[in-house]
Amino acid sequence: MKLTRRQLATTLAPAVALAQTAAQPAAAADDELQAARNRVKTNGETLAGQAVPMAVEPAFQFKA
Amino acid sequence: MAAPGNDVFFATAAELNARLIKKEFSAEELARAFAQRLEQLGPRYNALALSLKEQALRKARAVDKDIKREHLHGPLQGVPYAVKDLLSYGGQPTTWGAKPYASQVFDHSATVIEKLDAVGAVITGKLSMVELAGGGGYRFPSASLFGPGLNPWDRTRWSGGSSSGSAAAVAAGLAPFAIGSETSGSIVTPAAFCGVTALRPTYGLVSRHGAMALSWTLDKLGPFARSAEECGLILQVIAGKDGKDAGSAGRSFYYTPQYARPLAELRIGFAAADFADRPDAAARPAFAAALDSLKACGVQLVEARLPAFPYGALLSAILGAEQASIFEPLISSGRVDELADQSQIAGLKASLEIPAKDYLKAMRVRRLLQEAIQLMWGELDVVVAPARPGIAPKVDQPLSPPPGAAASANRETTPRSAPAGFGAVIPAGNLAGLPALVLPCGFADNMPVALQLVGPPWSENTLLAVGKDFQSRTDWHKRKPPDA
Repeated sequence: MKLTRRQLATTLAPAVALAQTAAQPAAAADDELQAARNRVKTNGETLAGQAVPMAVEPAFQFKA
Repeated sequence: MAAPGNDVFFATAAELNARLIKKEFSAEELARAFAQRLEQLGPRYNALALSLKEQALRKARAVDKDIKREHLHGPLQGVPYAVKDLLSYGGQPTTWGAKPYASQVFDHSATVIEKLDAVGAVITGKLSMVELAGGGGYRFPSASLFGPGLNPWDRTRWSGGSSSGSAAAVAAGLAPFAIGSETSGSIVTPAAFCGVTALRPTYGLVSRHGAMALSWTLDKLGPFARSAEECGLILQVIAGKDGKDAGSAGRSFYYTPQYARPLAELRIGFAAADFADRPDAAARPAFAAALDSLKACGVQLVEARLPAFPYGALLSAILGAEQASIFEPLISSGRVDELADQSQIAGLKASLEIPAKDYLKAMRVRRLLQEAIQLMWGELDVVVAPARPGIAPKVDQPLSPPPGAAASANRETTPRSAPAGFGAVIPAGNLAGLPALVLPCGFADNMPVALQLVGPPWSENTLLAVGKDFQSRTDWHKRKPPDA
């Protein structure tokens, strides 16, 4: 089968990336997810400690 | 007409355009030379996402006809360039650097590509990037459909993220300029690691229509180029109102160095600790010398620091909540597991769990942050800090510790607590929508390091004026990698 350069790149790129991923240390997905959830929680706690006057609106605008 | 020689690969856009107008070579010949070089050498740095050689040659032939008729469109006419694969190009794959989108094709091109096309610039290809611009937080440089971005100065080191290919391509002479994007650090970091001048514009100045959305309130597009002046010329073309981008500020930009304020009037804030203590030891001499070069420009250097805010937590909450909404279909479908980096996958999944109250609180604190930084601009015109405190890391090393090893975020620029001085200027500048100019300023261990200048919204001309003067006194931006 003859492949164009683009087809070859599309075929090979994921394989290359997957091979490199496989070389990563095998950190358990569950541990990663728990760590990410912990960061969300820690961020929330940090933000909860910030005093904001009631009149301060979020930094985005709704335009009618 | 002679074929372009190797000297074109590190010439500026303005120089190339002048040679085209003088008919030293044709736009078609120039496009062919750059497109071939991108095809041949792009994979060497994992920088090439997609060659657009045939489209480039077609466009260049049209440009040649325009030049022949003396229909001239400015200094980018006939100049090749490439874009981060986060931008759509009609009818061709746009992968966002991520396997789940490897076969994605849009029927329209991004506004910045249309604007560059209108002045006769010639797109030669699309460039690699960290998957989904790294919003989930990635642990390894290999977090990309294209493999880890390899640094032209040392291919055992990372080219930075998430605009990895944009910085590497300009550094290696694969394109005279490139377009990248920044949500928080994705222009500044790769530009610093690869020794390339780059500009992050004020939020809303450049349309993001046709670009992948990661965070509606943080995303920006900007140029990587050979000098501050080139960044100004490119920004003039890509800036402007666009009804297709809800975040468009409706402003244009005109690069007007002739109207720049005298540099002696400028008060530039800096923190001595940012230059003397915070950088890696090997980089400190380069940063100290860079500060001296800046002083030689005649500006007033004033000791200062950022107002105290939890920049990392703010950025994480805002970016996380916005990306969760944007990529909810990917995450909920389970296809998120096809991404290359486990930390990125976990970060995206966890972002779905950010409470609305946290996002809204972060956006309200962001308002206070904007006001505090606005007050700072009453005392200062610009701030300066190292773009990154050290050189590019090794490509096979993790960018952050594994789970449990340390309670720190792995997003590239989100320290948990604000370091003294301007150490948090990347998240702070992005949260406040501020422009930044990255200026290569020396070497450490044979790798480039860079300064970043940050100013108030819409102060691009001031930053560019300082950058232009700095670059008239130094030649770091002209250095090229030994084997490029």
